[in-house]
Amino acid sequence: MTQMTIEIQAPAPRIDIKPRRRILYLAKQASIVLVAIALFAWLAYAIRSGLARNGINFDMGFLTQSANFDIGEGELLTLQGLRQFVSSDSNAQALFLGLLNTLKTSCLAIAAATVLGVFLGIARVSQNWLVRQLSFIFVEFVRNTPMLIQLVFWYFAVVLRMPALSDATLWLHSVLFSQQGFYFPGFEITQQPSFVGALALILVPVFLVKAWMVKSKWLTWAACATASLIVSIGSGLPLKLTLPEVSGFSVTGGYSLSPEIIALLLGLSIYTAAFLAEIVRGAINSIPKGQWEAAAALGLTRRATFRDVLIPQVARVVLPAFGNQYISLAKSTSLGIAIGFSDLFNVYGTVANQSGRSLEGMIVVMVSYLLVSWMISAAINTANKRLLKQGGVR
Amino acid sequence: MKNSNKPLKWMRKNLLATIGDSLLTLVIVPLLLWASYSLLHWGIGIAKWHAVEENLRVLMVGTFPAELVPQVWIAAAIMSALVGITFGGLVVASVVFSTAATSLLALIALCATYSNESAITYFCGCLAVGVIAHSVSLKVPKVKKYAVLLWCVGFIGISALVAPAGWDRVGGLMMSVLFTLVASVLSVPLGVALAFGRRSKYAGVQVICTFYIEVMRSLPLILVVYCIWVVTPLLSPGYPGPDLVRGLLGFTLFFAAYVAEYVRSGLQSVPKGQIEAAQSLGMTPYYINRDVVLPQALRVVVPALVGNVLDIFNTVPLLFIIGITDFLRAGQMILVNPQSGGYTYEIYLFMFAVYLAIASVITFGARRLEARMAGDHR
Repeated sequence: MTQMTIEIQAPAPRIDIKPRRRILYLAKQASIVLVAIALFAWLAYAIRSGLARNGINFDMGFLTQSANFDIGEGELLTLQGLRQFVSSDSNAQALFLGLLNTLKTSCLAIAAATVLGVFLGIARVSQNWLVRQLSFIFVEFVRNTPMLIQLVFWYFAVVLRMPALSDATLWLHSVLFSQQGFYFPGFEITQQPSFVGALALILVPVFLVKAWMVKSKWLTWAACATASLIVSIGSGLPLKLTLPEVSGFSVTGGYSLSPEIIALLLGLSIYTAAFLAEIVRGAINSIPKGQWEAAAALGLTRRATFRDVLIPQVARVVLPAFGNQYISLAKSTSLGIAIGFSDLFNVYGTVANQSGRSLEGMIVVMVSYLLVSWMISAAINTANKRLLKQGGVR
Repeated sequence: MKNSNKPLKWMRKNLLATIGDSLLTLVIVPLLLWASYSLLHWGIGIAKWHAVEENLRVLMVGTFPAELVPQVWIAAAIMSALVGITFGGLVVASVVFSTAATSLLALIALCATYSNESAITYFCGCLAVGVIAHSVSLKVPKVKKYAVLLWCVGFIGISALVAPAGWDRVGGLMMSVLFTLVASVLSVPLGVALAFGRRSKYAGVQVICTFYIEVMRSLPLILVVYCIWVVTPLLSPGYPGPDLVRGLLGFTLFFAAYVAEYVRSGLQSVPKGQIEAAQSLGMTPYYINRDVVLPQALRVVVPALVGNVLDIFNTVPLLFIIGITDFLRAGQMILVNPQSGGYTYEIYLFMFAVYLAIASVITFGARRLEARMAGDHR
């Protein structure tokens, strides 16, 4: 740009109209707010009178009434610990269980989607032509078909087509896929855990995390973890392995996932992973080519380049976009209603049907979804800030 | 000599670069062969495609009366012509190609007519109309200028053809497509208004618009649609309106928030000098926004808006929550029917294929558009 000189005429003396403008501005501002409030009030009034016409009063009292229906999915968190939901529990507890199911599914699906998405994204820029093309086809296919058809496909055409429980094979005495669900082994807390054993066991993951974070002295921390594990075992391990066992038409022991949650997890995580893969690919491609060449000049292998040069930069670029995908994943759990998974929206549907309180329940559900979305967004923002602080802005 | 080495070189670079790569290739190739063999084997030998054929009408038009189906075909031909014209500026095909494609389609249609397969005849007819419209818009660039007008006229025509049966009976793929078109058009003006509102100089407007956009973007679509469906009869006693219109309202309100964010990013991309130049010309804020800012902003966001159309199309199946039979739900209804309940994979594969085909056309259009715009800016 070349500099240009402009001759400016001396401004003519003006009458100061600022105060008048300001008053006008404020008046407009106030009238806008008033109109908005009036509109909102009218809406509320119209809805209220509409309800009154049907003989319904706006009333939140239904929340404390008993639900009178059962929810088989998930366990209710109460002050006394986890327990199964029973039909004498209140509507509020039913909705809370729905929220817990939504949160549980979101967390599991987010974890699965992230792993799969990063993997697919790296496969999109693989050296191997076949891998590149296959992941491209997969990603495009998943992105270009509705999420709902994928979900119902997973449920009706895959999960419900698995063998019935009585015909299913128990792989390695520990894993079982069937129409009734997926069964897998796990650890259970023993009846009377010894205090020392429990404490030592809790310390093991703490030490391991420490070892992972403090790279220079990781061996010391790993040794600490091993030592506390030994102490824990010595003073009576408070955990016990449980394996699923088929007895007739039911399974005892182990842990299980219902067919609905399996289908939902598969659908959500694969769908989101495709979008995450595109984000990762975009981020990797946005790294200047010179960095690859510089890494190659330093004699780094492709893998080392990825691990030490690319990933630290890509993680920063990618995080906010990942956050958006996580939020839309959490929102998409509401599609569980199509396959009968008892998430928040589905439970709300049942509650609204049973009590006739669609509108009151709607408010509760909306606030819950807003909180979930804003929680994820806050978590991502915090993580982003920490990441930026750690490495500094590029 | 050099030429014969090329495939080998390509293979060495792309398939066998390192030991790990070679191993990967060795694992993938047999797996791929096996997968494609079993898919082909199933598709040709085992799958019973007559299940799709017998239920095609339900899939395509839902419970639409059979005697009005010919009108739907005319509507489909109009649609095909409109898409062909729109793609006139994006995809350049040679006259030879268009002629060949048209005559091939005509040939298939002719064969189908002899074997009494009227659906295939009509389908090929529609495609041929699209190809012809495409070549016309290539030859006569003036046509493209009237694209928006043609879409409006065409859409009124389609509505006139479909409406006699009553909007409640419109279903299947036809409903999905029409619903997508209307929702994506209606959400744009509201979205533009919200985007301007978000950067208004009045704090009140700013807060309200920002609140609306952020709340809508944090709620699941299915909840918004259901909420609107529940609330509308309370607001208009006696006349709740057809489900389709209530669903449309929900979709419009929801996607307007997304459109607003795209448009906002477009508004930000307009250089400030443009506004200052317009101000120095003595234009009022309204005309600056209408004639200077908005046209430039919209140009930037057109690819994103096309992507938005795809988003809407892919979320139309959520209308099942208010009992509307779209393409996916029509398929599910067929599968619930004990007569055709055993053909799960055939029906799902068909639905996946149709969704993929339509979405690919939209994605392709969006990418072309983006590439062209990037080229224009240079």
